[in-house]
Amino acid sequence: MKLSELKAALFYARRDIVKNKKVFIFITAAIIFATANIIIVNGFMDGIANDLVSNSIETSIGHLNIYPGEDDRFIEGVGFKEKKLSSMDEVVAFSSRLYASGTLSFRDKATAVNIIALDATNEKRVTNLLEKLDRGNTLEANDRDILISFRLAEDMGADAGDDVQVVFENGASQTYRIKGITHTGSYELDVNTVFMAKAEANSRLGFDDKASIILVKLTDKDIAGEKKQVMMDELGVFKVKTWWEEVEHIVKSAGAWSEFSNIVSAVGLVASAISVGVVIHINVVHKRRQIGIMKAIGASNSFIFTVFIFEAGLFGIIGVVGGDLLGYYGTRYFETHPFWEPITRTWFRARFYPYLLYNASIVSFGITILAGIYPAIKARRINIIKAIWG
Amino acid sequence: MKIIETRELKKTYTLGKVEVNALNGVNALVEEGEFVAIMGPSGSGKSTFLNMVGMLDVPTSGEIYLNGTEITKMEEHARVEYRLRNIGFVFQFFNLFMELTAIENVMFPMMLSGHPFYKERAEELLESVGLKSRINHLPSELSGGEQQRVTIARALANQPKLLLTDEPTANLDTKATHEIMELFRRLNEEKHQTIIMVTHNPELGAKTDRIIHFRDGKVVK
Ligand SMILES: Nc1ncnc2c1ncn2[C@@H]1O[C@H](COP(=O)(O)OP(=O)(O)OP(=O)(O)O)[C@@H](O)[C@H]1O
Ligand SMILES: [Mg+2]
Repeated sequence: MKLSELKAALFYARRDIVKNKKVFIFITAAIIFATANIIIVNGFMDGIANDLVSNSIETSIGHLNIYPGEDDRFIEGVGFKEKKLSSMDEVVAFSSRLYASGTLSFRDKATAVNIIALDATNEKRVTNLLEKLDRGNTLEANDRDILISFRLAEDMGADAGDDVQVVFENGASQTYRIKGITHTGSYELDVNTVFMAKAEANSRLGFDDKASIILVKLTDKDIAGEKKQVMMDELGVFKVKTWWEEVEHIVKSAGAWSEFSNIVSAVGLVASAISVGVVIHINVVHKRRQIGIMKAIGASNSFIFTVFIFEAGLFGIIGVVGGDLLGYYGTRYFETHPFWEPITRTWFRARFYPYLLYNASIVSFGITILAGIYPAIKARRINIIKAIWG
Repeated sequence: MKIIETRELKKTYTLGKVEVNALNGVNALVEEGEFVAIMGPSGSGKSTFLNMVGMLDVPTSGEIYLNGTEITKMEEHARVEYRLRNIGFVFQFFNLFMELTAIENVMFPMMLSGHPFYKERAEELLESVGLKSRINHLPSELSGGEQQRVTIARALANQPKLLLTDEPTANLDTKATHEIMELFRRLNEEKHQTIIMVTHNPELGAKTDRIIHFRDGKVVK
C-alpha cells in the first residue's frame, strides 16, 4: 500500500470511530481502566514482593547464612567458627542464633513457642531485628529479660512489663520479664516467638558452643555468591545459603501471584477488547453499502482491511496512553498511600517500575488490534455488487 | 476515438439451479466525449452492463475494451487502480460517506490516488457543482439533489475518462433532476466528459447525444 492510501485510511478510521461519541468514550474508558488495572496490580505485586524481600534481608537473614549439616540439628564448634569469621577480610559482622522450642505460660494460659536466642550486640551488627519493636524496650547484651512477638502477646494477653514463665524443651523452667513486643513484618518471626539472650538460653538448655544458624554480613552483598564456597572450605561447613537463595522462594511465590493476577487482569482486558471488536464489527455491518462504494471508487481490499485495523489501533493507542497515565499515577499514589493489611499486619505498598508500562502497553495494544482483525477481514471480503445492489 | 467497445459480452448469474442470462451477447460502442443514455425495460441488463464496463464485476464471456485495452482479464489490483484513475461512479442513492463532510467526500478518492492538492481541487469541484456554501456540511445536512451533486463532484475527482451513472435522478424531484441533468450536459459540453447514464426516463434520454436500447440482455437496434 502507498503512503497516500495509509493516510487516507487513517483519516477515515479517525472519523469513523468518533462518529458515535458516547460509544467511543465508553470503550476507550474500558481499555484505559483495563490497562491501568494491569499496571497497578503488578505494581502492588512487585511492591509487596520487594518489601517482603527487603524486610527478610533486614531482619532475618545475612548475606551468607551458615546452617547445620544435613543430619545435624546444630552447628557445633561455634566459638572456633566465629574466630575464623572474625579473621576474614570480607566479613563485616556475624550473629549466631540458637533456635529452640518451649512453652510460655502467663496467668491461666500456655502455648508452644519458638525460642530465638541471640547475642544482641552481634545481631544488631547484622540485622535490625531487634529494632522492630511495637512497644517496650529492646534486648541489650546480657539482658535476662525477653522479647515476645506481637501475636504471642495478643494471644496470651501479656504485655511489656509482665512476668511470664518459659519451660524449655529440656524441661527447665524460668520466669522472665517481658521487656518489649516485636513486630517484624516477617510472618515466621511474628508468630509465637520468644527472643532472649543466647547466654541465658545456653545455660537453661545446657548447651555450649552450638548455633542453629550463623548470619554473616559481608562487605558487599553482591560478593555473597563467590564467597559461599570460600566460607564452606574455611569453616568446614556443608550448608551455606546466600541471601539470594534465602529470598528466592519469596520472589518465586510473588511471581506465581503476579501470574495469577495477570490472568485476572487479562480477562478484563479481553472483555474491553471484545467490545472494541463488537463496535468495529457493527461499523462494518452498518456500512456494507459504503464499503462497497468505497471499493467501486477505487479502494483496494487491503485499504478496507487497513481502515478497520486502524480503527482498532486508534482505540488501542488512546486506551493505552490513557491507561499508562492512569496506571502510572495510580501506582505512584499507592506507593505513598499503602493499604493496611490486617492479617499480616503490614502495609501493602505498590512500587512503580517502567517495565510495568511497557508490558501493559504491549499486551493491551496487541489484544485490541487482534479484536479488530475479524471485522477487518469481514470488511475486506465484502462483495461490491452485492453491497451496492443487495 | 472509441472509449468503450464490447464484443459478445455475456453475464450469467446462477441462482440455485436457475441460470439467468443478464447479458446475452452485448456489442456496444461508445466514442470519447459522448453523452449516452442506456434505456430499456427493468431486468434487461442495463445495470449489469454498467457494472462490467465499470470493472465492478467480470463477465462470463466476451471482451471489453476500454480505450483500446482489453480489461476482462486484468488482475484485481490493476482493476482497482484502473477504477480509481479512470472511472467515476454515481449510483442511485446513498452514495456518500456519511461521517465525512461534503469536501472530505470529494477529497477521498484524491487522497487514495495521492493527488497533491486534493483540498484545493475538492473545493473547485464543489464550486463547479454549485455547492461552495455547503462544503463543510455532512451528507445528512444536504438535500437529495445536493447529495447527488457532491457524488458527481467526487466521481470527477481523479479526472476519469468515463463517468458511469445508474439512475442518478430516480430519487429526486423534478427540479433537482433538472439541475443534475444540466450539470451532466455542461460537463459533457465544456469538459468533453464521456458520460454513460442508465435511465428509465425518456425525457432525460432525449437530452443525451444517443440512446442505447437494451432488451433481454441485448442491445436492440
Ligand atoms: N447479483 C445477481 N444475482 C442474480 N441475478 C441477478 C443479479 N444481478 C442481476 N441479476 C438479474 O439479471 C437481470 C438483469 O439485471 P439488471 O440489474 O442488470 O437489470 P436492469 O436493466 O438494471 O433493471 P432495472 O431497470 O430494474 O434496474 C435481472 O433478471 C436480474 O434479476
Ligand atoms: Mg438497474
